[in-house]
Amino acid sequence: MIYLNNAATTYPKPQCVLDAHAAALSNPPSGQFRSSGSFLKEDVFTRCRKQLGKLFGIHQPERIFFCAGATDASNKILLGLNLHDKQIITTVTEHNSILRPLYNHQGFKAEQLSLVGCDKNGKVSTQEIESVILNNSGRFKNGGICIINHCSNVTGMVQDLYAIGTLCKTYGLLFVVDASQSAGCIPLDVDKMGIDLLILTGHKSMFGVQGTGAYYVRSGIPFRPVMFGGTGLDSRKLKYNDDEFEFEVGTQNAPGIAALLAGVEYILSQGVEAIAEKERILMRKLYEGLSEMNPVRIFGSYDTNEGPVMSFQLEGLKCADVAYILETGYGISVRTGLHCAPLIHDAIGSGVDGTVRVSISELTTMDEIEQFIKAVTEITSSLTVE
Amino acid sequence: MKLMDKVESRERCAEAGWFAYDFLLDREIDQEFIRGLKPLGSWVFLSMLAKPFFKVESEHFMIKGILGECHFRVAVHHEHEDELIRIERLIELI
Repeated sequence: MIYLNNAATTYPKPQCVLDAHAAALSNPPSGQFRSSGSFLKEDVFTRCRKQLGKLFGIHQPERIFFCAGATDASNKILLGLNLHDKQIITTVTEHNSILRPLYNHQGFKAEQLSLVGCDKNGKVSTQEIESVILNNSGRFKNGGICIINHCSNVTGMVQDLYAIGTLCKTYGLLFVVDASQSAGCIPLDVDKMGIDLLILTGHKSMFGVQGTGAYYVRSGIPFRPVMFGGTGLDSRKLKYNDDEFEFEVGTQNAPGIAALLAGVEYILSQGVEAIAEKERILMRKLYEGLSEMNPVRIFGSYDTNEGPVMSFQLEGLKCADVAYILETGYGISVRTGLHCAPLIHDAIGSGVDGTVRVSISELTTMDEIEQFIKAVTEITSSLTVE
Repeated sequence: MKLMDKVESRERCAEAGWFAYDFLLDREIDQEFIRGLKPLGSWVFLSMLAKPFFKVESEHFMIKGILGECHFRVAVHHEHEDELIRIERLIELI
């Protein structure tokens, strides 16, 4: 099987991830801060936090909190921030893991939200964000929040976080970044980009397992946990003061975090820039191969869309049919539809049917890309309606 | 052609209001069977593929499969699941 659905979950995983996960399940469970006799060595939680901090340029890794993935992280962030009377800017490129928590937030009012569009490739204009702020300056008097998807899971467009971060700092907005698609494959420097809150998932380009993720909250930002429960710190404390909150409660997913740590260390050993470059070479081949076919319409271009994700449609066949033929006829797994990002499709012109999405990882091979292009070539050349 | 079983597909696309079923047949799908589906709607047959693909589409349902397989997929809008019976009857006649 050729797996080109890595934007959903990466497969395969590096061997070190499999080994770490198996080892964590094979050994006695580590007791998080509960005197399991491992005080002489760094525990997996602390080490994973440090390595995540190293990977993402976060100088306060203790402000990284583990969770179950990007959806869990975005819900905890959006529910944990005080959105009451705050003006929120986000974009049509966002995933439903952002849009649905916003739209269903208790007390959320439609007038609080400004949706910024994107161009046909998925690029969000920094100038348009600034215009929204300037044209609604009265609404921002109680504070504002800007939520940006770093890399589109539909078009692979990477947004300019340095520019948007500078803008947020200038106008005093909290800067929230969803790095689900970029974390581990596109350089990200949280402190330098001025990111205040970061959403991460473990099972995509960080090579962790499903059900792992993390989020970062810069210290000093008013933020409440949405979950309370057991921790090992002080069991007698029932009521917290605002500055004493704990953000990881209940038994943590230690095997998952061990696997995530192995994935992050794998990325650090390869170098995220080198991974990005390797993936760019594969994506160039994809763009060049598909752009030569007349019935294929690509949503983006190699020059503009830098992420490891590409969307296309094939004239004469529905997206779901293309995926069906690829899977049943060629053993190639892709994804079709709206990709849980419903608003971007009007902007890029992909309509109600959505797109066929091809997404790679650092472990995708050139041979797999060539076989995919060959399969699409065969499909396009056989398009005969009787 | 005899219909042996009808199972809900793992890929149900329920979010879009469609439900998919896999129809299991007593023998491999041949060209006669594929052409026999023509009365059901717009018909596509990509016979040049290594594994030829066919599709029949109407307003409320869609059938697709591969020549030589013993199963094909039917997606139907949840408000028109009665169409499944019409498809079953036609299959028995082919």
